[in-house]
Amino acid sequence: MLETLQNLYLGFTVALSPAVFLYAVIGCIIGTLVGVLPGVGPLAGISLLLPASFGMDATSAIVLLAGIYYGAMYGGSTTSILMRIPGEAASVMTCIDGYAMTRNGRAGPALAIAAVGSYIAGTVSVVALMLLAPPLANFALRFGPPEYCALLLLGLLALAYMSGGSILKALAMATLGLLFGMIGIDPMTGFFRFAYGVVELGDGIGVVPVAVGLFGLSEILLTAGEEAPPEVKKPRLADLLPSRQEWRDSVWPIGRGTVLGFLIGIVPGSAHIISSFVSYAVERRVSKHPERFGHGAIEGVAGPESANNSATSGAFVPMLALGVPSGPIPAVMLAALMVHGISPGPLLIQQQPQLFWGFIASMYVGNIVLLILNLPLVGVFVNILRVPYPYLYPAILIFCVLGVYAVNGSVVDVWIMIAMGALGYILRKLDFETAPIVLGVVLAPMLEMSFRQSLAMSSGDYTIFLSRPIATAMLAAGACLLLLSMLSLLRRGAGWRSALGLANVEKEDTHET
Amino acid sequence: MRRRLALALMLCCIPVAPVLAQEKFPDRPITIVAPFPPGGVADLTARPVAAAMEKILKNPVVVVNKTGAAGAVGMSFVANSKPDGYTLLMALSSISIIPEADKLFDRKPAYTVDQLVPLALFSADPTILAVGANHPWKNVRDLVADAKKRPGAISYSSSGIYGTLHMAMEMFSHAAGIKLNHVPYGGAGPALTAVLGGHQDMLASGPAVLIPHIKAGKLRALAGWGAKRVAAMPDVPTFKELGYDIEFYIWAGAFAPKGTPEAIMKKLRETMKQVVQEPEFKDAMAKLETPIAYMDAPDFQKFYERDGKMLAEATRRIGRIEEPGK
Amino acid sequence: MATKDRIAGAALVLFALFVLSESRALPLGTVRQPGPSFVPVLLAALLLAFGALIAAIGGRSERFRSLRWRELPHGIAILGACAFSALALERLGYRITVLIVLFFLIKIVEKKAWLATTLVALALSFGSFYLFYTLLRVPLPLGPWGI
Repeated sequence: MLETLQNLYLGFTVALSPAVFLYAVIGCIIGTLVGVLPGVGPLAGISLLLPASFGMDATSAIVLLAGIYYGAMYGGSTTSILMRIPGEAASVMTCIDGYAMTRNGRAGPALAIAAVGSYIAGTVSVVALMLLAPPLANFALRFGPPEYCALLLLGLLALAYMSGGSILKALAMATLGLLFGMIGIDPMTGFFRFAYGVVELGDGIGVVPVAVGLFGLSEILLTAGEEAPPEVKKPRLADLLPSRQEWRDSVWPIGRGTVLGFLIGIVPGSAHIISSFVSYAVERRVSKHPERFGHGAIEGVAGPESANNSATSGAFVPMLALGVPSGPIPAVMLAALMVHGISPGPLLIQQQPQLFWGFIASMYVGNIVLLILNLPLVGVFVNILRVPYPYLYPAILIFCVLGVYAVNGSVVDVWIMIAMGALGYILRKLDFETAPIVLGVVLAPMLEMSFRQSLAMSSGDYTIFLSRPIATAMLAAGACLLLLSMLSLLRRGAGWRSALGLANVEKEDTHET
Repeated sequence: MRRRLALALMLCCIPVAPVLAQEKFPDRPITIVAPFPPGGVADLTARPVAAAMEKILKNPVVVVNKTGAAGAVGMSFVANSKPDGYTLLMALSSISIIPEADKLFDRKPAYTVDQLVPLALFSADPTILAVGANHPWKNVRDLVADAKKRPGAISYSSSGIYGTLHMAMEMFSHAAGIKLNHVPYGGAGPALTAVLGGHQDMLASGPAVLIPHIKAGKLRALAGWGAKRVAAMPDVPTFKELGYDIEFYIWAGAFAPKGTPEAIMKKLRETMKQVVQEPEFKDAMAKLETPIAYMDAPDFQKFYERDGKMLAEATRRIGRIEEPGK
Repeated sequence: MATKDRIAGAALVLFALFVLSESRALPLGTVRQPGPSFVPVLLAALLLAFGALIAAIGGRSERFRSLRWRELPHGIAILGACAFSALALERLGYRITVLIVLFFLIKIVEKKAWLATTLVALALSFGSFYLFYTLLRVPLPLGPWGI
């Protein structure tokens, strides 16, 4: 313990040395700017700016990248809340209640809670990362294909809780999303599926254009044509900060989101995206007023934002402790280390203490810088809403195209966004929720791959899912969840029709007059 | 009217530009396309090359990542771009595999091998066979003997089906006459994680990636695919020494679209020759723990053809996998 | 009676059937060794069931005809602008494409004044380009003559 503190002191002397600190601040600012672009989240932000860091020394480069990474994450939630445009796949859930709050004139509190929640989750998860990394990393590596498959199934089951309207419709939309996720090269056999000669579809449909299309573009399509310009309550100065009640409502969601996100985050792979979906489902489940969700419940912003932030810190556990590229973001970070001649590996912490602890300390520093940077910016951002809509939406549209294009430099992605925008428009006219589609697109490739990898490992024996303790435990938990939700359906007895949500469709969105 | 005239004048100018460009090359930014995301081998080689070229040519050279479909998107982009020397490609070994896989599935090929002409080879790292340290096999003989006893029971992870790491293992298992269970992953990183976590038994990968884990005692290297032993691992034998006639490298080299004027090709080749002499370039590659293996176009062409033939054979041997796991 | 849910359910069923017919080109594999079309077929079958269920018990939802489509013309114009930007982005370059899209949307669709349109369009296209391309080095396409 004492040693840890000593090391942390070493880290802070690195992180707070003027040059390094400057890079942390620059990184945060760049990250916030890039993150505001729709679709450009932490991963795309770091990838785009990685080459710029090649000329620096290793510690500054890593600190700069960490700043960009945090900044992009904060920036992403801003557009989700103000314009219903997910900055990245993980902020899809923030869009729903965050934008509803904006519609109610509570944009300021939503932004503030997102910033504070991210800050708390970020800081707490860095403490956890620091203290628990070595033991947790070994546990995380025990996640093989069967465990992964079980975890993703569990994530899908959370969907049953997530939907505001009909469970049946939510399941249909998730299936549709999973089907979209089947497009591209089959990873197990190399067959091209449903690509119709478009080479760019080989890697499948990206989550970014789907999310931006289904959420951002469909919103513009629905609002821009209304006869009266959309009524957004102009925020007053007093409304910039959350009320006491809103603070109180956010405490537990932030706490739960932090723990949940960290645990999901340490699992190698891209599963950390589901943390915000799971957190939203949990908050809805434990809430005394689940009906408020979808109409501006602050818990629906606080939980997922915190989960999202701590999940991505959790993703660094295997990278820092074992030098394993355990997900897309750690992989890019490891590449940055290699460029500077540092071979990442299990010995990284011993061999490069100033780097490791400098990185940890700069994560603390970055979180504080962002909080200081973002809270005053809430006032600035909220004023964007004063721009008349006929000027605002063309600008949003341009940024959607720019962001979606920039991620892969691919026009095909822009076309996907357009198609998804049209689809989202129609679905929302017909009272379907679009979030499950995004979840489906995210999960499909991982779910299918881990399922088929498991079978390849066991030569087609399905008992592999039941002979490995972690996988079995998760499947059992999933089964329990399913049973519980069935029970509550049954208990409502004759109301099954309304439970399925078909008879009396609850309005999902506020713009239906 | 005047505006229209101006526009017409501008339009007239466009076809003239390339003609002029041939006289003085280069007079505008050169683009090197890396068909893989930032941080990958292609990207990490392309960037120091671009920096050194910029210095030598006194002309901007930018790296653009055009990713997708295991590199096919970026490669076909360069293959179909104007052959004027301003669009180049930094390709890896997989350049020979993709057209062969397209043939296997009767697909319209994204590009053909003869659409791209080799310029220079920068690095060629042999892959290394590494097993999880908890396994009993101390050498290749143990492994082969065990695999013959239990066909299909020993598994290996790879960066993806028909990927470079898959090819290396396919060559080995074919040469040794054994049957191994292939479990593809979505990239070299996840494949390594799978072996470290004990979910698969072994993998083939580049030395730079494996060495830290071998040093930490998590993995054990059994043999390498190179013609010579790897400098950083002097006690790991090559497959050739062990009597298996296989060779495989993960290489990175620059290509230009076919039809690039001879004068420009010459200029580019000369530039590449100077690039590998630049201390900054040497330093950058040393940091990546990747030895420079420079070859000029004629040698590279021969190497590339031989390598391509071997990969094509391996691809055909794997064939179409209608029922994975068989 | 054609309700919203019936129409939506029917559309989902049709889409599932389309996926099923397209999947015939790929090998199905077996339960123990699923092939490339195994999971898509499974999902399409599920979607078929869900769609049919939605249509079957959706007789009491709102009538399809009660839907009003007054924002549709606007929406089509916006989608058109997006499609144009996708076509033009790599041919005309980022700045020219954005200029044209903004002029179209603000001047023609929203009927704002020329001066305001010009100012906003110029500021947004060149400003965003400067910020993201020049300062942040996000790769954006250039058009002919390097604009």
